[in-house]
Amino acid sequence: MLFFRSEERIAEWCKSRGLDPRPVVRMDQLWHLAVTWYGSRLEAESRRPAPGEMRGIFEGLGLEGDFWDPTTDTFG
Amino acid sequence: MDIDTRVKVALYRAIADSGNVPTAEEVGDRVRASSATVRECYRRLRARRLLWLEADDATIRMAPPFSAVPTQHQVTVDGITYFANCAWDALGIPAALHRPGTVLSRCEQSLEPLRLRVGNDGPEACSWLFHCLVPAAKWWQDLVFT
Repeated sequence: MLFFRSEERIAEWCKSRGLDPRPVVRMDQLWHLAVTWYGSRLEAESRRPAPGEMRGIFEGLGLEGDFWDPTTDTFG
Repeated sequence: MDIDTRVKVALYRAIADSGNVPTAEEVGDRVRASSATVRECYRRLRARRLLWLEADDATIRMAPPFSAVPTQHQVTVDGITYFANCAWDALGIPAALHRPGTVLSRCEQSLEPLRLRVGNDGPEACSWLFHCLVPAAKWWQDLVFT
């Protein structure tokens, strides 16, 4: 999860590694994600969004498709 | 408040106060529990995806958005310097602390420095982008790589 100056720099970075570029996220979208994930992290009742909630959060920001779908997560 | 929650709150408050991840003993002092009990809590918090532990299953590597080790994403809030795990977490630190801050990072391709001021309502206007290689379904399979 990295910062890039532009889509051109992302394309260069991916090409040099033989990777396909992924969807990009604007800074205002990233701020929304940061607040949603961490806005209550120092509080007792804080928790990480559940997979279904995550999908809704992403969709609300226009981040859709399989790449942003965590519901197939079987980790742990 | 159960012991896991007490440990989580004590851990995060200690990080917020200093910028450093405390030892299990220091957290134990705050919650009046042994370091062994604190480490048991860490493992349960990891299972809830609130912490990422090193391979020893005891040492904190990430208490998202905070990193226990130096990274390329440095965030200063109220004169305290924190390290973030990734670009997302770099914005997550001012969001978690509810305080304005400054993010220092870089473009991963050109290495151009990024200096981004973040207010209580979000970052200043900025055309830089965030890119993640790993699909959301696989983020926690290897959070360090993600």
